[in-house]
Amino acid sequence: MVASDRKLQIMSAHILKNYDSDLSALKDSVVQMGGAALDALEKSVAGLLEGNLDQCYDVIDDDEAIDAQEKRIDEQGMSILLRFNPVASDLRHVLSSINICRSLERIGDHAVTIAKRSRKILKAGAVNEVRLIDPLFREVQKIVSSALTVYSDVDEEAAMKVIQMDQMVDDLHKSLGKSLSAQIAGGAKETEPLLNIIFISRSLERIGDLAVNIAEDVVFIASAEDVRHT
Amino acid sequence: MNDSPITLDSQDAPKVASNETIISIDNLSFSYDMGSTNTLRNISLEIPAGKVTAFIGPSGCGKSTLLRCLNRMNDLVDTAKVTGGSISILGQDINAPDVEAIELRKHVGMVFQKYNPFPKSIYENVAYGLRVQGIKNKSVLDQAVEESLQKSALWSEVKDRLDSSALGLSGGQQQRLCIARTIAVKPQIVLMDEPCSALDPIATARIEELIAELQEDFTIVIVTHNMQQATRVSDRTAFFYLGELIEYDDTSRIFGNPTRKQTEDYVSGRFG
Repeated sequence: MVASDRKLQIMSAHILKNYDSDLSALKDSVVQMGGAALDALEKSVAGLLEGNLDQCYDVIDDDEAIDAQEKRIDEQGMSILLRFNPVASDLRHVLSSINICRSLERIGDHAVTIAKRSRKILKAGAVNEVRLIDPLFREVQKIVSSALTVYSDVDEEAAMKVIQMDQMVDDLHKSLGKSLSAQIAGGAKETEPLLNIIFISRSLERIGDLAVNIAEDVVFIASAEDVRHT
Repeated sequence: MNDSPITLDSQDAPKVASNETIISIDNLSFSYDMGSTNTLRNISLEIPAGKVTAFIGPSGCGKSTLLRCLNRMNDLVDTAKVTGGSISILGQDINAPDVEAIELRKHVGMVFQKYNPFPKSIYENVAYGLRVQGIKNKSVLDQAVEESLQKSALWSEVKDRLDSSALGLSGGQQQRLCIARTIAVKPQIVLMDEPCSALDPIATARIEELIAELQEDFTIVIVTHNMQQATRVSDRTAFFYLGELIEYDDTSRIFGNPTRKQTEDYVSGRFG
């Protein structure tokens, strides 16, 4: 990477004040949407672990609001592109924010999937194995929360650490899948709840990947380096 | 590029291969007041042949001054003086005592901000430089006029009225005529000083298209205040501020991820 005096200094304000306020509003919207997606994730798993069906229904109902936020962010980004012709870090900020809202929308969708699977498990009568989800959920919660923080702070170094955190998520997902598959293969009585837990684990693993995508976008905002697929 | 310097009074200066250095500016300082204050300070950059290089920066940064140094237009200012460094074009120091500005300008043409056709016919405008060079053969002139008007994307619009006054053309057409007049004498380098600033968006788009086409035959150096234009037309961009070269790099880099904070602040509209 080329040495740069730019990274050491805080960016000055734009001559056009509306430009600054629109960029700032875009960022606020993404952070707000991130909060909603994280909330959906937490509720979907909490519903399962606490046996609370209402929380599962809330997640399913609230997904429309997350979808609406995605559309709003697209509009904000498009408006900035049209009105201000952003370049350099401003352009990266707008493009990446639009990318990130796409990832957040998918996190919301996975939370809905988790909520629906949880609802099935709970309606059939909870099984002890749902507890096995907890360590994976904690790790996924941490990676999503960290990804949102590094976006808010535009912290390249911390974003690289978020990318590395995904390995733990993958390991926990694999281990959980292996354990439950073994139970099914061993002739467990109730296979459907176990299969639903495997699907929930898969959704959590995908959410981890989406958090990585967000962190990669943050690296791009900060340094213009494209670290995807590396 | 040849190792030996090319004399600028040669009619047939050899072509410099695309992407090799055609203009070399080394530690140049320049003053408009006999050296009391330097308008340009210690500028060094190498401009590649067959590419479009844009000079950008806020008003008063020295970009037009540097452009005018490249064909010694500043010679017209009595108190103007190169106070340090040098400019080599085609391997020749252009400020050397034995280099005539008129000869230099055969190789380094210029298009100005305000289109300035002569009050003559369209044909005579394009043929003017060739006639000054002593070319009288009608068929040679006819061929050169047609070729230049073709290259400047004006031929189809004026071929049936070459004897009409150039002043009857629209602004955009007049600017393209000035480009035709410039390239008729086959310079290797074309300097453009804000060539679209007096034109409407359609005429501007035509000039920008033309710049892309001319790039095949000429090295182009363009001064522009329109940064979107610089991103569209140029391969390399130099950013100047207060008489100094702040950053010079590929255009995609300057507008995508500049190294210097001053550059980022300027291109992203944080000062200017």
